[in-house]
Amino acid sequence: MKKSGVRMSSLLLLSILTIVILVLVSAVLLFSRTYQQQLILTARTNSLRTVTQVSSTVNEYLSEISTVMQTLEEELSDAEEQRSDFFDVFLRIRPDVVAVSTYDAAGRLSHCYSSLGEPTGALSDSVNLSLDMERLRSEPEGYVSAPHVVTFFPDVYPWVITTVSQIERGTGERWIALDISCSNIANYISDSGIGRRGYCYLMDTDGNIVYHPQQQLIYSELKSEDTALTAALEDGSHVEGNVIYAIRTLSNGQWRLVGVSFLQEVLTESLRQLGTVLLLLAGLVLLAALVVSVVLSATLSHPLRDLESAMEAFEADADGFRYAPPRSGVREVRHLSASFHELVLKVQQLMKTVRDEEINLRKTELRALQAQINPHFLYNTLDSISWMCEQGKNAEAVEMVNALARLFRISISRGHELIPIRSELQHAESYLEIQAHRYKNQFTWAIDAEEPCLDYLCHKITLQPIIENAIYHGINGLVDDGEIRVSVREEGNDILFTVEDNGSGMTDEQIAAIMQKEQSDRAGIGIKNVNDRLQIYFGSAYGIRIESRPDEGTTVSIRMPKVQKEAEYEKK
Amino acid sequence: MRKNKLLLLLLLTILLLSACAGTSESSSPQYKIYLISKSTSTEFWRSVFAGANAAKAEYNVDLIIRGPETEENYLGQNMYIQEAVNNHADAIVFSAISYMENAPAIDAAAKAGLKIIVIDSDVNSSNVSARIGTDNIQAGRITASAALASEEEHISVGIVNFAQVSRNGEEREIGLREELEKDPRVEQIYTVNTVTDHDAAREGAVSLLEEYPEINVLIGLNEPLGVGVAEASEALDLSGRVRVISFDSNIRCIDLLRSGDVSALIVQNPYAMGYLGVETAWKVLEGQSFRPDQLIDTATSIITKENMFTVEGQKALFSFG
Repeated sequence: MKKSGVRMSSLLLLSILTIVILVLVSAVLLFSRTYQQQLILTARTNSLRTVTQVSSTVNEYLSEISTVMQTLEEELSDAEEQRSDFFDVFLRIRPDVVAVSTYDAAGRLSHCYSSLGEPTGALSDSVNLSLDMERLRSEPEGYVSAPHVVTFFPDVYPWVITTVSQIERGTGERWIALDISCSNIANYISDSGIGRRGYCYLMDTDGNIVYHPQQQLIYSELKSEDTALTAALEDGSHVEGNVIYAIRTLSNGQWRLVGVSFLQEVLTESLRQLGTVLLLLAGLVLLAALVVSVVLSATLSHPLRDLESAMEAFEADADGFRYAPPRSGVREVRHLSASFHELVLKVQQLMKTVRDEEINLRKTELRALQAQINPHFLYNTLDSISWMCEQGKNAEAVEMVNALARLFRISISRGHELIPIRSELQHAESYLEIQAHRYKNQFTWAIDAEEPCLDYLCHKITLQPIIENAIYHGINGLVDDGEIRVSVREEGNDILFTVEDNGSGMTDEQIAAIMQKEQSDRAGIGIKNVNDRLQIYFGSAYGIRIESRPDEGTTVSIRMPKVQKEAEYEKK
Repeated sequence: MRKNKLLLLLLLTILLLSACAGTSESSSPQYKIYLISKSTSTEFWRSVFAGANAAKAEYNVDLIIRGPETEENYLGQNMYIQEAVNNHADAIVFSAISYMENAPAIDAAAKAGLKIIVIDSDVNSSNVSARIGTDNIQAGRITASAALASEEEHISVGIVNFAQVSRNGEEREIGLREELEKDPRVEQIYTVNTVTDHDAAREGAVSLLEEYPEINVLIGLNEPLGVGVAEASEALDLSGRVRVISFDSNIRCIDLLRSGDVSALIVQNPYAMGYLGVETAWKVLEGQSFRPDQLIDTATSIITKENMFTVEGQKALFSFG
């Protein structure tokens, strides 16, 4: 439950986002596909519509031209005089007509009428691009030419398209050719844009370009049109790669109008708009997700995290933990917090009960132990006294008996749990006296107590188990003279007892064993009992510490607080 | 801490999205492009302007065309370069009258941040972004092949070239002489330098022809000079005896080609120069890069009486509308 795992709000947010994005993306894919197809269809329709419009205008122009041709043919039957007058007027009202020329059966120029002047150029080198005799051999009825320059005049070479027609009721003249300025057709076609970059151009059925809005660019070979492709296409709209071609054949049957527009342009323009909307939408969704996450975190995961850290705090320190359940928030979390609060109170109550019971149990146990006398000790002591009496060492025997009596008196202490340190030291002294006799003065001992300490209270039989341990484990079996030194001194608010010996010492394992083992082999109080008692009453900061070096001796220190009255201690 | 990161991430995404939405709307700005020509009076330059105007319409640029009256006035050109800088133009499409004398002004303009596109005639500057025009050495060679396309056994060539040290004139003569000298029939090559005006060229050509009557090939290396040599040949009634080769498609020359006074025209593609000049300027401004050491070659063709009225000949000679 530390920092691993995913946080709930993140998880929720993530799942919302995933779902939204999935839905959005699939919707976009689906929509854009249909949209794209729709767009292409619309573009094709638009393209075809424009081309149809332009082609009908050009058709009108062409029919106008054929009407003009008929008028001109009729006019040719007039006399020379009338003809020139007519052409003067005609050329003035039709500025798009560059020249009208007539030819005999051999293709020689008979007459030429033009606002540009007299036809001298064609006569000088007999180059005339306005009449294609070769073509007339296969199409004797007439034709409409590809663009070419007019070669009749020096100094001027305008680009024209020539309509050639056979003269029915001839007067020796066989053909009439009408040169029409390309710029007129240009007016119809150049302005007919399709979309932003699309345009129309005019070609003949073989795919030769008749007019293109960028004719000069094509002539300069800076642009090209794939006329081989468009010539092969039927009328109607076609999508070839990235380009939409809309094609209409004109009424003269020789020309075809091609509308060129670019799919890319149509699509990118529309898809960009779509993209903008989608991006905006995605932004809104993200914003919404942000708001949701903030709300979720405030209402759910934040209080839950508070609860979690409260639990951690409770785990760390069950005793000192205080919990105030939140008063606001989601109902579930509030219930959870209230339940937790209940739980905390119950656990703390239970803990208190258990501790109290433990203390009572220990007290009873210790009282029972303190009341016991080690039978071996008593038996050995009495045996020693009896032996002294037999030897006539009455004075020593008396001393021994006194010591024993003192020992027991202090042990009993009229049922008090705590006794003055002074008495405890007497108790220790008596015990040492007896043991010194028993061990035939194998060791010396000294008690050194600071005067102010003596009136404080301590547990009875605190020192005796330690001294007993020093004799049994330290002095016993020592060849040299043993020495046991007991001291009591103040240290701040604490009393520090130490029992030092210069015996054989203990290993760390032995120390651990002594500190843990219940006194089972012998009756009476063991070191562990002493330590337990101190810690139960005064807390873990107090108790016994053993320092020992093999062959150098052992120092046992007992730390306890200064206690002045028994009541003070009973309270704890 | 993690929550903050998540928030930051979300905010960033939103910012990014709005930025995307923002940029997708914007389009490129309208660039101001100056076209500074060598002259404004010849058909060659009018055709250049027509091409430039076609590109102007297509790329939606603000095109300003400037040029001196005559092809000697490089100081006038430098003034126009300064004008372009002062008017905060984005690029100059430039044709240098003087390879050397125009260079400092062009360098200054480039330093002011203008992109330089050279068309037709080069300038001695390392700040040129792209070069477009006729490969003039090659044009000189083509001219030589037209000059040598005769049955004559002894050939003497008279060349009328620009007086001003213009790079394209120099290069044309280099290519021309290089090819001529390879032919054993060529005995003499004379050059006269005149100002680029057809009257001056005619006078220069006439005095050259009078001084060296053995000349039987006469070449004018640009449009006014070409008209001048054609007029000289016509004036001295040398048609049939002297092969006249002119440059570019001046209407006078076309008529004289038709009448036989001019044998061949070396026709460049000025419309393409104008169009490509402006188009390339736009592309450079849009961030594309070109290799200025590699000329973008606009085609050059030989037009004679025989091919002048073919479909290709018409396209090369006569501008459309």
